[in-house]
Amino acid sequence: MGRRRSGGPGELVRKNSAFWLQCLLGLVLVALVFLVFRTTQSNLELLGVQSGFDFLWKKAGFSISQHLIPYTEDSPIWVALAVAILNTLLLAVFCIFLASLLGLFVGIGRLSSNWLVSRLSLAYLELFRNIPVLLQIFFWYYVALRALPSLESSIFITDYLVLNNRGLYFPFIEFANGFSISPPVPGRFAYEGGFYLMPEFLALWIGLSLYNGSYISEIVRSGFQSVARGQWEAGAALGLKPAAVLRRVAFPQALRAVLPPLTTVYMNMFKATSLAAAIAYPEIVSVFVGTVNNLAGRPVEVMAVSLAFYAGVSFLVAWLMGRWNKRVTLRGQ
Amino acid sequence: MVEAVLRLGRGMALCALAVLPAGIAAADTLSDVLERGKLRCAVIEASPGFSSIDANGRRYGFDIDNCRTVAAAVLGDADAIEYVPINPNTAFTTLQSGGVDVFPGGATWTFLRDTSLGLDYTGTYLYAGQGFVVRHASGVSRIPDLEGATICVAQGTTNEQNLADYFRARRMKYSIVTFADVERGLNAYLADRCDAFTTEVFSLAGRIVALRNPEEHRILGDVISKEPFSGLVRQGDPRWRDIVFWAFNSRVAAEEFGLTMGNVEEMRATTEDAEIRRFLGVEGGFGRQLGLRNDWAYQIVAQVGNYGEVFGRHFEPLGLERGLNALWRDGGLMIAMPYR
Repeated sequence: MGRRRSGGPGELVRKNSAFWLQCLLGLVLVALVFLVFRTTQSNLELLGVQSGFDFLWKKAGFSISQHLIPYTEDSPIWVALAVAILNTLLLAVFCIFLASLLGLFVGIGRLSSNWLVSRLSLAYLELFRNIPVLLQIFFWYYVALRALPSLESSIFITDYLVLNNRGLYFPFIEFANGFSISPPVPGRFAYEGGFYLMPEFLALWIGLSLYNGSYISEIVRSGFQSVARGQWEAGAALGLKPAAVLRRVAFPQALRAVLPPLTTVYMNMFKATSLAAAIAYPEIVSVFVGTVNNLAGRPVEVMAVSLAFYAGVSFLVAWLMGRWNKRVTLRGQ
Repeated sequence: MVEAVLRLGRGMALCALAVLPAGIAAADTLSDVLERGKLRCAVIEASPGFSSIDANGRRYGFDIDNCRTVAAAVLGDADAIEYVPINPNTAFTTLQSGGVDVFPGGATWTFLRDTSLGLDYTGTYLYAGQGFVVRHASGVSRIPDLEGATICVAQGTTNEQNLADYFRARRMKYSIVTFADVERGLNAYLADRCDAFTTEVFSLAGRIVALRNPEEHRILGDVISKEPFSGLVRQGDPRWRDIVFWAFNSRVAAEEFGLTMGNVEEMRATTEDAEIRRFLGVEGGFGRQLGLRNDWAYQIVAQVGNYGEVFGRHFEPLGLERGLNALWRDGGLMIAMPYR
């Protein structure tokens, strides 16, 4: 929508009728949702299925292996929901970071004049873009899990960074009595203390990042290619080194072309974290749609909460990216 | 992928709930089944002992025989079944939304499920308990040895909570990895992701026997829960619930009466015992009381067999003993309600 300075009475009427039309549509939508809700509720009642959100305050009674906030089996279900949401977001943030990094390097690599680098980048792109991401996750999980060493023959990346088939262990701040750093120490079955990334997390992180990184690399490549050749030449004419031209001249301009499609990839990546349910990473689909639904027997409410979460975060990502996009667009003009 | 499809199916079932017109209350599953000529039976696929598919594509197992029992009673043909594959996660919703007529397997009878799901239980037909499998090499021989261990479990089962209750009550540390189904959980255990895998002992034994090297694993002797398995039907259809209940009861009764697949024909012709005569439909019209043919129980025994035969067929090859599932007069818990 372009911004128009002039606005006669005719436009006011048009604006007004558009406003009322939107109101009407909004009302119809609300009525529809209400109708579906009521029908569902009365049908559930007829079926003898209990409904309502009161289950969120009941004791959870199950354990979750990774929790970023304090959680035990005695915590209420809404805390389990919060744990699951944080686990989902943690995974999404890690994936978005690594995929962006990969995409940036591979995208630039595709444009490299070095034959080997550009071919390797192409090979990466073709390989990871053309295999369904769920299969890639299974591959990283089951293949890597079988390849990782057991507890007794753990790999010590450094003294305090330990990798085995139970996860990647590292020292972490302990809040028990004030602050202290607790390093991972070997126990009877696994390393204890510190913090660890579950193999499920690692498989998802690698799988989702490699897959989405391939899409991002294409976006980055086309972004750079959209920058007029003259801009590169002008940068060089100013005496800038190629890396500086890339960073200072081409990148800011490429960003404008990159951001809209990148938003889509980020949103898809966020939603794809729900594939975690296929391999036991405790995110929202696994914990909520899986475990809690069976405990509480409230499929409609459980689905509603989960859908609201995905819709909410997707809107948030779109909004944030939209703002960023606006900023770079304005700056470019 | 299967997971995604099942989840999608479940979502669609929920949508159906939203748009279904009111009036589900007047459910008459029996008429639906008779009209269709086939029983729609929910089965959990690939669970040795309970539900498998042989080389000829035929399904067999304890759960399958439960489906066959109901089909024999209602339609007179144990094979008139349309199997609907489900997983523990989708079982209840599929049944609630009318996708199947009965879910005869794998559901522990619990208070909350009975009171909140809009489903009715149809009587316990298998007494199990939750057990653990560990690698021999781990040196674990009793459940308390699992202090600090990582344990794999399938979600959507009572096992997840039993585990939490048991370890918490004893202040034992553990870490849990929760998989969408038993198959994946067991695979992860085999890949050494976990020190132990836990589920109900009957299905555990079946799966361990089927492994390439079962001798590397051991099933711990103790169980941490009681898992009374019962069939499930939709709530609000008392006649259908009665039919499923009495169909299962018939197999236990047949064993008490000494009726088998082999002798039921002859016994029907010769027996003087009034209860057996009522049971087999020679007199009394008990089948018609249920809205079925009078030879309903005869068909069950002739086509599927008595409880002991069914148990022996599927569980004894896995090395499982009758235990609690023996007849009451042999020290077990199986007791048939009287036919009078």
